[in-house]
Amino acid sequence: MNYFQLFNLELSFVLDLNSLAHSYQTLQKTAHPDKFAHASSQEQLIAVQKSAEINDGYQTLKHPLTRAEYMLTLRGVEMANEQQSFSDTSFLMRQMELREMLAEVKFADDIDAALEAAQVSLAQEYQQHLVLLTEQICENSEASNVLACDNLRKLKFYQKLNIEVERLEDSLFDD
Amino acid sequence: MALLQIAEPGQSTVPHEHRLAAGIDLGTTNSLIASVQSGAPKTLLDEQGHDILPSIVSYQEGSTLVGNTAKAHSVSDAENTIVSAKRLIGRSLSDIQSKYPSLPYQFCGDENHPEIVTRQGNINPVQVSAEILKSLNERAEKTLGGELTGVVITVPAHFDDAQRQSTKDAAKLAGVNVLRLLNEPTAAAVAYGLDSGQEGVIAIYDLGGGTFDISILRLNKGVFEVLATGGDSALGGDDFDVAVVDYLVEEAGLSRPLSPSLERQLMQQACTAKEQLTSQADVELSLTLDDGQKWASSLTKETFEQLIASLVKKTLRACRRSLKDASIDAADVIEIVMVGGSTRVPLVRSEVEKFFNQPPLTSIDPDKVVAIGAAIQADILAGNKPDSEMLLLDVTPLSLGLETMGGLVEKVIPRNTTIPVAKAQEFTTFKDGQTAMAVHVLQGERELVDDCRSLARFELRGIPAMTAGAAHIRVTFKVDADGLLSVTAMEKSSGVESSIEVKPSFGLDDIQITQMLKDSMNNAKADIDARMLKEQQVEAARVIESIQAAIAQDQHLLSADETQIIEQVIKTLADTSQGNNADAIEAAIEKVDHATAVFAERRMDSSINKALSGQSVEKL
Repeated sequence: MNYFQLFNLELSFVLDLNSLAHSYQTLQKTAHPDKFAHASSQEQLIAVQKSAEINDGYQTLKHPLTRAEYMLTLRGVEMANEQQSFSDTSFLMRQMELREMLAEVKFADDIDAALEAAQVSLAQEYQQHLVLLTEQICENSEASNVLACDNLRKLKFYQKLNIEVERLEDSLFDD
Repeated sequence: MALLQIAEPGQSTVPHEHRLAAGIDLGTTNSLIASVQSGAPKTLLDEQGHDILPSIVSYQEGSTLVGNTAKAHSVSDAENTIVSAKRLIGRSLSDIQSKYPSLPYQFCGDENHPEIVTRQGNINPVQVSAEILKSLNERAEKTLGGELTGVVITVPAHFDDAQRQSTKDAAKLAGVNVLRLLNEPTAAAVAYGLDSGQEGVIAIYDLGGGTFDISILRLNKGVFEVLATGGDSALGGDDFDVAVVDYLVEEAGLSRPLSPSLERQLMQQACTAKEQLTSQADVELSLTLDDGQKWASSLTKETFEQLIASLVKKTLRACRRSLKDASIDAADVIEIVMVGGSTRVPLVRSEVEKFFNQPPLTSIDPDKVVAIGAAIQADILAGNKPDSEMLLLDVTPLSLGLETMGGLVEKVIPRNTTIPVAKAQEFTTFKDGQTAMAVHVLQGERELVDDCRSLARFELRGIPAMTAGAAHIRVTFKVDADGLLSVTAMEKSSGVESSIEVKPSFGLDDIQITQMLKDSMNNAKADIDARMLKEQQVEAARVIESIQAAIAQDQHLLSADETQIIEQVIKTLADTSQGNNADAIEAAIEKVDHATAVFAERRMDSSINKALSGQSVEKL
């Protein structure tokens, strides 16, 4: 049973997050260990396993990047691993620029404005890639799946940059 | 067993029986116990009519005092009177000594198992907490008129694994059955949420004596979903006192180290001053110095607020971070609930109000709200409310990870992941012919191993010799509904399985707990045997009851043969549990567990299918 089946949802990248959340809560009301606090330890054990599986499924489907990766895996598409080299040099150049931009925030005259500007650029570029990813996943051809993998990798770069931004924010505002 | 049992689906065949259960707020400064009686949660009173039990244990010659009677010794006999043991529980010796350098105790024991030297011998902080739990349990049994089925004990949301495990160990020592460890802010949300029936995002700001928690929750039709939690396990009202004490030491021209009784006197003066400054503009202070001289001074509210301003600010930083983790704007929060005695400090209230831009809720006594929420949850977990829609979905407060090359931490389960959770990560060998691998489990947010809490180390041995990178070692982290972690490792490429279960290296192992239990009983061997037997008999009764109810409800999931096998093992268990052999009962329970495994799985799958098919009917 895949996660879409578990949550009684159609196998589609575009999904209604509200019905996902609703199914999630309905399932947890059935399987959560709290519902088995008075049952045998055998049933408690199964409740913990099932409840953990439901949590994992919910997290996987809720976020677009993990959902995309999960769907590509279901389709049997081979993911490139992190060590594999990346051929898109213009993308890598852009990543370097963004990293420099973040590194310079703390030297700006107006730190708040500089941080805000960096966040806006990041969010815009992330969004562009996400729109593209949605199209590629929905097309579901051999060629589009390969492109989707490549694009997913790029989106993960942005995800890492967002973590950098959070660290930067903490270091700037934690006096 | 009866030939035929008729019951409506979802209804137990067992006649309604109210099981006694209670919620315990095991606080740094004060502890409480509450229970649901005739449908309403109430705190339980001691013989003097107090519900608050000061979390103080005094080890006197031939007697151990708990609560107010212990408090009377806290200045005159500071070395033997343990206050705020919750700040010490599950911590290493160096951690304690660096965080609380001026404690009046003499420590001994090793780095991971610090103990306090008292006239009754060396005492582990877990034993101190156990005394408090024992006292509360006795109170409940007296008030409610019977033995408790179980209790829910609350812990700060950001308590790490060692601190949670130690709290559970304390319950074990006290002979109390723990239904669940519940996070304090979640308990407060339950107390408020069930009252108001609110839907939307709420924030719980919980500043106790020694700990600070902030939790962001979404409430929806009885489901309490924790979105994010944060805080500081060493920040609370006690730190306000310490700030005042340091100020007084300077003002009075004293130099440390001071005598234990003067330290305690200073703490008490500071605490009283803090309490009075909630309604007064200034307070008078007086001390009796070690040489018998008196020293007097005054403290204004303004000075006090300057002294604690940075601490309050620290709590707001944690609020900001948790909101961000939850992807929620401060403006989206519909309600802020204040919990913990330290939220009575006016500066705390005004700063929280400023931060969230709305006045916080304080309608339930901040000292009692956690115990009340825990009582509600205990009542449900004990099975007294089978139709309850309430469900608590809590999270891990801190990231869990493994040490990788170069002293770095690789996160396996990030903070704020909903529990229970199971996550696996694969690793490989980096040398040809490597047959063992060290696994180092850590908890915390930082990247370097040295900056995180080390929870456990173990070695996976017996990996078949292969070329570097050929072995596949799968390390699995599991966090249960109490927030407790277990880790297993397995080599799988060759089909050879080698796995190990670890418990955190802090706290106590089962042998130590048994030893402590023995020490605490006069007639050690006989008492302990009686207790073990009783525990197994209670467990056997629970297993039999739950399986009979399951068969009554879902017999259609079993073939006639299967039913017969299960009924046979149940009968054996029922017979065995009449006897007085604890080990035999345990073995019989295991047999039942084994024989019912498939049945339990089928029941789960069937109820899951039913739950969602009901939903699609609703949609139509």
